[in-house]
Amino acid sequence: MAREVHIEPVTRIEGHAKITIFLDDEGDVRDAQFHVTELRGFERFCQGRTLWEMPGLTARICGICPVSHILASAKTCDALLAVTPPETAVLLRRLMNLGQFVQSHALSFFYLSAPDFLLGWDTDPATRNVVGLVQADPDLARKGIRLRSFGQEIISRLGGKKIHPAWAVPGGVNQPLGAADRDWILAALPEAKETTLGTIRLFRETFDPAARDVLSTFDSMYMGLVGEDGLWEHYDGRLRIVDSCGERILDDVDPRVYPENIVEASEPWTYLKFPHYKPMGYPDGMYRVGPLGRVNVCERFGTPEADRELAIFRETSSRCSGRVFDYHYARLLEILASLERIERLLADERITSTHIRAEAGVNELEGVGVHEAPRGTLIHHYWVDEGGLIEKANFIVSTGHNNLGMNRAVREIAKTYIRKGEITEGILNRVEGGIRAYDPCLSCSVHAVGQMPLIVDVVGADGTPVTRLVRD
Amino acid sequence: MDWIIGIGNRMRGDDGLGPVLVDRLEATLGVRTCSVDQLTAELAEDLSTADRVLFVDATAGENGIELKPIAPRPARGLGHALPPEGLLELTARAFGRAPAGWLLAIPGRLFGWGECLSEEAEACLFEAEATLQRWVQRAMVMVGV
Repeated sequence: MAREVHIEPVTRIEGHAKITIFLDDEGDVRDAQFHVTELRGFERFCQGRTLWEMPGLTARICGICPVSHILASAKTCDALLAVTPPETAVLLRRLMNLGQFVQSHALSFFYLSAPDFLLGWDTDPATRNVVGLVQADPDLARKGIRLRSFGQEIISRLGGKKIHPAWAVPGGVNQPLGAADRDWILAALPEAKETTLGTIRLFRETFDPAARDVLSTFDSMYMGLVGEDGLWEHYDGRLRIVDSCGERILDDVDPRVYPENIVEASEPWTYLKFPHYKPMGYPDGMYRVGPLGRVNVCERFGTPEADRELAIFRETSSRCSGRVFDYHYARLLEILASLERIERLLADERITSTHIRAEAGVNELEGVGVHEAPRGTLIHHYWVDEGGLIEKANFIVSTGHNNLGMNRAVREIAKTYIRKGEITEGILNRVEGGIRAYDPCLSCSVHAVGQMPLIVDVVGADGTPVTRLVRD
Repeated sequence: MDWIIGIGNRMRGDDGLGPVLVDRLEATLGVRTCSVDQLTAELAEDLSTADRVLFVDATAGENGIELKPIAPRPARGLGHALPPEGLLELTARAFGRAPAGWLLAIPGRLFGWGECLSEEAEACLFEAEATLQRWVQRAMVMVGV
């Protein structure tokens, strides 16, 4: 008898979602869908507001990713004003984005995902969390907490607070970095690097390449910004898309012309749209972004320790890793690269200059701002009237880019672990783990309110519930 | 050292009761204070150096204002936010010790969008202020201030 399995809501991601697994008459997986079940409509809320409000307004899209939206919005407003922010403002924006990478990736790795794979996929879900991690490995947990705290402190020292700092503004930033704050960050860097290097070693020694296939491995394209010579980039750069072998499908493209290459498809069963590579159509134009996407598109990081670790990573995978689990590995590599880039930025004497903002009126009626958020390429696109009021806004957020990839991961994992209708807690958590590896932020992509228990419904072909599993 | 932590979102009506109360009294209390939207693990390291901590939070229950001691307890199935007992547990395990914990629960009625407190919540604040000040004074007596 064909039936459906629902996993609702998916836990330890930012926002609400559910998973439906469709079984065939034999009890094997026929298909699977990752649904995002709530709508936010931020693009509509922004209409009629002034462009100067947009960085602060769009920051409220999310409590996890405010820095990402502030920076993308400020860049979009720079374009509307047709201003070039002072050099120091750009350095400081880069510094804040790197702080965001550190805190966001540390949160994803140590708090949300490490409990799955360090405590074991089949451990009691009630204790498979950061507190459980503390019980099992207090030293690792303590270091993870301090690493995230370090990233947050960078944001706080630049913007005045850890969440929703109203700091990046059209034309630059509104507060310089003092020498004392620079020195504090520099003094804390060695511990952060030691923690990151130690965690990379632990990850590598714990999971051999075969173990890293646990959340499925499949081919796709990858997308991200790259700098000169194909270096890893997070703030500016040119758009690159590569295929599963690393061959360049698209390269050296101004990201502001994204509509020529990226379009969004919709499905009636989810509020989250499906961006895809336009020339290849939907769904064949699937690409993935975020830590693994950036690691796959770049030639190298451009900093010594991260490049050394990247070389080791690439020894255990093809030029482009298709392993969903490798999102975690790539996340750690990006923390290391971010720390090295932070060190480099702070060594630049311009970093404490007080020339941090350029002033201008509205000079363009359409502007695009693109940068890399921790979860992937973030695009803001505004249209304004001559007074600077927003007439239309379009956001293509990182999580959306990975929608096709997340659905594919759910389907592949479910096919691997669900056979003849047998479903266990550990299997369900692996399916969820496939989603969590992408670290989706549904606050940004659509909506989020708090947390709820996990509910699994098994529904018969006639629509009658067969059984329900509930996780508190 | 004692620490008072207001918990809640000021943009969700009565959920902001904790931060509102802490804001009103922080200048006069003479103890460390802060307000957060939710408790996160990053608070643990600082918390491990405190003697006592009072969490001030809104509650949707029907009970009146309640001040009670709380003990460390493992949290279940959480993400990146923690309940007070879970934060104390994490603090003790990760950083070796946790302060004596207390919870001041203030009943709220409306938790929708908006920065205003309901009339019922406003009416509770006077009693909540007195309760909080008694907790601080008792702490000061204990350390001979």
